[in-house]
Amino acid sequence: MSTTLLLARRNMARNRVRLLASVGGVALALSLTLALDAIYAGVANQLTTYIDRAGANVWVAQSGVRNLHMVASTLPDQVVESVGAVDGVATVTPILEATDTISAGDERAVAYVIGLPAAASMGNPWDIVEGSAEVRPGEIIVDREFAAKAGVTIGDLVGVLGGEARIVGLSRGTASLVNSVAFVSFDDFRAMRGGAPVVSFVLVRVAPGASPEAVAAAIERLVPGVTAQSRTDFVAQERRIVTDMSADVISIMSVVGFVVALAVVALTVYVATLARRREFGVLKALGARNRVLYRVVLVQAALSVAVGLTIGLAFTGVLGFLIGWTDLGLELAITADSLAKVGLFAALIAGLAAILPIRHVAGVDPAVVFRRGAPA
Amino acid sequence: MTAPTLDVRDVTKRFGDGETGVLAVRAVSLAIEPGEIVLIMGPSGSGKTTLLSMMGALLKPTAGSIHLDGSEISALSEGRLPDIRLRQFGFIFQDFNLLSALSVHENVAIVAELAGLKGRPARDRAKALLTELGLGARLDFLPEKLSGGEKQRVAIARALINDPTLILADEPTANLDSKIGHEIMRLLRVIAKDQGRSVVIVSHDQRIRDIADRVLWLEDGAFKDVVTMATDPVCGMAVERERAVSAVPDGETFFFCSRGCREEYLGGLRTDGARIGRGLAGLSRLPVVVLRSAQARMTTSTDSASQSRSRLGRFRNS
Repeated sequence: MSTTLLLARRNMARNRVRLLASVGGVALALSLTLALDAIYAGVANQLTTYIDRAGANVWVAQSGVRNLHMVASTLPDQVVESVGAVDGVATVTPILEATDTISAGDERAVAYVIGLPAAASMGNPWDIVEGSAEVRPGEIIVDREFAAKAGVTIGDLVGVLGGEARIVGLSRGTASLVNSVAFVSFDDFRAMRGGAPVVSFVLVRVAPGASPEAVAAAIERLVPGVTAQSRTDFVAQERRIVTDMSADVISIMSVVGFVVALAVVALTVYVATLARRREFGVLKALGARNRVLYRVVLVQAALSVAVGLTIGLAFTGVLGFLIGWTDLGLELAITADSLAKVGLFAALIAGLAAILPIRHVAGVDPAVVFRRGAPA
Repeated sequence: MTAPTLDVRDVTKRFGDGETGVLAVRAVSLAIEPGEIVLIMGPSGSGKTTLLSMMGALLKPTAGSIHLDGSEISALSEGRLPDIRLRQFGFIFQDFNLLSALSVHENVAIVAELAGLKGRPARDRAKALLTELGLGARLDFLPEKLSGGEKQRVAIARALINDPTLILADEPTANLDSKIGHEIMRLLRVIAKDQGRSVVIVSHDQRIRDIADRVLWLEDGAFKDVVTMATDPVCGMAVERERAVSAVPDGETFFFCSRGCREEYLGGLRTDGARIGRGLAGLSRLPVVVLRSAQARMTTSTDSASQSRSRLGRFRNS
């Protein structure tokens, strides 16, 4: 390590309180941004879990319906057959879906309620921790976290779609911060909704070698009144809903975090530079060019930010791990995008925080060395 | 005659303009020869530090010029001065001005690195120089763990690391006790006489007169007097050449503290046929310094010279 970089490191390390304030401030501020991003990414992950795990390559919905959350899709029964006839389609499974409230005693929770045909090859719960994976009329599979919170278990009755159903299975990984997924029989769902010959979505598994995107396009071309999307596109649309809903909050909190971190780093680096004003003057007198001194200041800022960022990442990671052990139904997902954003924030903070101290250093008179001061 | 290392020609420095302006240095001229030790003394506020700053290319003169090894450095742009300071000058300060976050050897190595020597070679050179100065056991210490004398030796090593032609020292013994002060003076003399570097010292410390080839008195921004120091070859005392008893036995001038010493010296020559007096004759050559600056460049009137001489005398006796 060159001595000038060593000097930057030592300058920061010499005052532990200042270093702690600087690094801690950056860590907290960046953690705020990172954790918020991770929470929303986690929520998006949870919201799309059913789409990801349902086993379909293509989702067919009512024309114009491009996601699952907060929309209703209604397709006539015969669409199922029409979709099944499209080239490249191997299997189809119709499901009924509605966002509803399931209740047990005083406990009420929002859920995607899925109506599954008997022996459905797609759309089933993927991880049953207790009881049956198949629902027959009068039965329901609920998420185990909902069951635990409501104090119900296998054999108990819960209210759903205006009626009641008996719990026959408890699933895992089907709850999110927003809602959970509950599974009832297709016939019950249709009966509770007045018996109309409709389905909500048609789940499609494509033939081996077929492209989901190509099959989706063919379905849209050949079956009137539907919107067909590959699972990837459907998930992306679903995530966009979450992003759209959370973008403002994330942006505001990101700006707050950015400003806090910037203020903390700028202040501590500035104070550190002021404290070493004479030493910068000494270096100038000895022949150091301004750019060398700027580098010292920049490295000081970058070190604060880098250490703060590392601690922030570790803190968010640990937070996510700890939250996973709670029954909050919350998932923290640190995405590459989020890391890139926070990394960019950190670099910007380091650069901006160094501007004022650099201006200060530029103005230091090397003749300061001849003024009497505290001896080194 | 050798070319001067540093040639200060009619240099003036004014701070501020108009009635509030202060003339810190007034048309000062001074030539410093290779290997010469020049001590600049004077009361506080006389312009010593301003003059030293200009000599060290830390401050630009308002008028006049400063030449280093024949090149005018006072005309150089700000962008070129750091290199001059880095490679041509070595600075020694009263407050030592070591970088508190760096160890002893890092404090010295950083200056070598600034001059382009990288990593290990810079550190090795710093360690070698520090070891030569008796700091081999303190290489990894922080400055706060050193005594004043050790700090000043580190500062001297730092001043020497890039092999400068001129050392500028500002009150180098001020924060040191008598013993350490003498040690630093001895080092400065070695730097000048053994290594051939010019040394300019600004100080109030009378002891430094013992090692100086010339003592200049700066007052109100101008040199009022010049004292050229010589060593009595008989008793070894530092004497002011202008006030000393002299003799030219063999076409070469020698200076003595008293007639007694002169007679003893000349008597010794007569009896021994050699210019040896108590083994100190070799030193008599050192004080025969170049007087060009004193003779040709000092801007002093007869009146002020005599006044300042008497002041100098009082100062010396205080």
